[in-house]
Amino acid sequence: MADYERLHRMNRGFTLAQAVDEADRCLLCHDAPCSKACPANTEPGAFIRKLRLKNVTGAIRTIKENNILGGACGVLCPASRLCERECSATGIGLPIKIGEIQRALVEHSWSIGFRVFEKPAARPEKVAVVGSGPAGLACAAELAKAGVGVTVFEERAEPGGVIRYGVPGYRFDRDFLEHELEDLRRLGVEFVCNKRVEGARGAKELLAGGYRSVFLAPGLWKAVSLPEGKGIAEVHDSVSFLSKPREGKVPDLARQIDGKDVAVIGGGSVAIDCAESARKLGARDVYLVYRRSFVEMPAEEEERVAALRDGVHFVMLNRPVGYSTDGNGRLSGLKLRRCRLGTEDASGRRSPEDIAGSDWILDVQVAVEAIGNGPDEADWSGDVRIDKRGLIVADSATGRASTKAIFAGGDIVGGPGLVVEAVRDGKNAARAILEALAGGAR
Amino acid sequence: MSAGNKVDLSVTMCGVRFENPFLLSSSPVSNCAEMIERAYERGWSGVCYKTLNSDRVPIVHPSPRMNGYDYEGKRLVGLQNVEMISDRPLRDNLADILYLKKKYPDRRIIASIMGFSNDEWGFLAKAAEDHGADMLELNFSCPHMSVEGSGYKVGQSFHLLEKFTATVKKAVKIPVLAKMTPNITDITEPAIYAKNGGADGISAINTVRGISEIGLDDWVAKPEVFGRGAVSGLSGRCVKPVGLRFVAEMAQCKELALPISGMGGIETWIDALEYLLVGSTTVQVTTGIIHYGYRIVEDMIEGLSDYMIGKGIGKATELIGKAIPTLCETGEFDLGRQGVATYDLERCVGCGLCHIVCRDAGGQALEWDAEKRRPELIEEKCLSCMICSFVCPVPGLIGFAEKPKSWKREPTPVMDEGEVRRVRFEPFISA
Repeated sequence: MADYERLHRMNRGFTLAQAVDEADRCLLCHDAPCSKACPANTEPGAFIRKLRLKNVTGAIRTIKENNILGGACGVLCPASRLCERECSATGIGLPIKIGEIQRALVEHSWSIGFRVFEKPAARPEKVAVVGSGPAGLACAAELAKAGVGVTVFEERAEPGGVIRYGVPGYRFDRDFLEHELEDLRRLGVEFVCNKRVEGARGAKELLAGGYRSVFLAPGLWKAVSLPEGKGIAEVHDSVSFLSKPREGKVPDLARQIDGKDVAVIGGGSVAIDCAESARKLGARDVYLVYRRSFVEMPAEEEERVAALRDGVHFVMLNRPVGYSTDGNGRLSGLKLRRCRLGTEDASGRRSPEDIAGSDWILDVQVAVEAIGNGPDEADWSGDVRIDKRGLIVADSATGRASTKAIFAGGDIVGGPGLVVEAVRDGKNAARAILEALAGGAR
Repeated sequence: MSAGNKVDLSVTMCGVRFENPFLLSSSPVSNCAEMIERAYERGWSGVCYKTLNSDRVPIVHPSPRMNGYDYEGKRLVGLQNVEMISDRPLRDNLADILYLKKKYPDRRIIASIMGFSNDEWGFLAKAAEDHGADMLELNFSCPHMSVEGSGYKVGQSFHLLEKFTATVKKAVKIPVLAKMTPNITDITEPAIYAKNGGADGISAINTVRGISEIGLDDWVAKPEVFGRGAVSGLSGRCVKPVGLRFVAEMAQCKELALPISGMGGIETWIDALEYLLVGSTTVQVTTGIIHYGYRIVEDMIEGLSDYMIGKGIGKATELIGKAIPTLCETGEFDLGRQGVATYDLERCVGCGLCHIVCRDAGGQALEWDAEKRRPELIEEKCLSCMICSFVCPVPGLIGFAEKPKSWKREPTPVMDEGEVRRVRFEPFISA
């Protein structure tokens, strides 16, 4: 049996002493380009300077006041292509490990019992937030800080959205999430779980029920799937595959994976998470199947390298064309067709082109499809406009989604994005909602 | 063949030859033969043996007795200690000196001594000489010996210092060094008293009286000795500038003209070299060893040797006092020659630290091009304070260049020319 604890436990980050050492290398730039590069304005330039000047509590305050999920972003952000990419220290050596410093400071705040937030004086207005993922939490925190009564509605059993159910525990664990949520609870944010707010109708009901505004951030929870896999029990989709361990269903999942050969289809971060999870669930061989080549994979480079190091086999330039089953209808293989890279597509990456007569079968007993997520079947017709992909159309600066009091943000607006981008959306929408509330009071 | 064999590091002080200038100073690192033997094996040429006492006054060290002074990520930038002179019985210390002299006849032992009365100084001096000490060092400077008539209080009472030196000189034939306290305004004054008492050389500096750190929870200065702190001896890298100053001032003093054993913050060959350049014949080390161990002498020997080879200098003695001829009073500078900072912007990383300091502490001579993230120097405003170069993270990017005699620096502007017309005062004329 595999050690399933590995599924739930994060690697240790920097100690505070390591963070101080790392901060010691920071140049403390005049115009801190790292700060300009953070979508959520977490201000690394400010919090690293504070750490350097032994103002540790001030550094923590800067992080958490700017970004209620500052700890989560420290852990989950692809910092090497955000703040760290802009670091001036790169000119004389390596960039400062900003994400590690950020995480260490937030973890340090727990160990010293330092809480940034106190419950502010209450205002009479109430606002509803639909979805408790990063966008919803960021919006809720910002509103609660201003004294607004905030209720967050979550369809699943516990709050967190994608950072609870969409990311494996070894990347972001329950303890860490609970600490982050504690700050929201201290601000007075109320969570109503196991409550689905359905589409535009649900939003309207909330407005009718006394909420002055609604922020829609339900995320993208419907997995895209290949039609060929329908009805085969051993073909999983990434959404259920990743959420099961977070719902206490490890034994059930492990029974299906342990000792098996597993194919994971896809080239993004979610595919990497599925492949790594399969390894930790005891899979014998895990194949990551992607139709383009290693460098075109959307997954972060660090993730890709880590998966290679962890023993995931990368089957590049192969496209799934179907599944094969045994006499009992159980999965026995993934039908693949070899590809070569052709001309550039709209994304600037070279498109895969089939190599005729190259079909082959990869023998696997389990497959996980990680080829994208979309919005679920909620009916948004009415007040909210929807684009061709089924995403909500909202103003990028304010999140305003309708002429009425409906705002939206996170993946349901921008498509699959980063936690830090969802935080930005939530903050922007909260600011616009507060302005709207102020306008209404006049 | 190691670099150490190609140059002559030996020095002679007060007629005593040392294989190299590097000595352990009188301190915890020279407490007993077991330790000193290991130091000898690493290459130290001699030792100032931990200050002997006569057993008359019991010596008990406070506990704990030291505090490390860190700065940012750097450990032990300074060391605060409240340790007393040797707490070992005189018999044991003398036995250890006998052992060391028998086994290592070419290594030098300078016995540090401290008496609490005139005759006790003579007694200790004689005992040390009788058991093989090559030289004596009179500890007139321990900043935290609390017994009356001892420690740095003696170093500040010039007549006592002269009297005790004379007593020791009468008692022994071996050379005598007087160890000076830096806790004084002009170090040459007590040094001359020591000379008048017959001292053959001077050691300096002992630790600087200071407070390195205060507990933020109990508000007690460190080291905290069961609820109490004390002003006590600070040593280590942070005192090096002070030590160099005192040694240089003694080296400059024509009336003194005695050989000097220099110390204070030496950790590397560069530190040691600087002490030689300001006039030390030998150098002594404690805090560097507390930081890294006896092994650092290997790097001092190798580093100094390679430096000498690079400079074509065959003998370490040629380096002694070489910085003294150009050392002058600030009033003797040639103010007719002026220069400005120079920038090699090809290598700039765009951090803007130069801009911040020039604006907040310099001549407001650096504009900031926010688009390009690069500074722009307005030479006429440059004060040549060079603080920009101290914060620039790229070594050598900012330099200094002399301007022609015709060049003029812009005066600092006033905020409002209108206010200048309202200023009223009679020009000051000295009576």
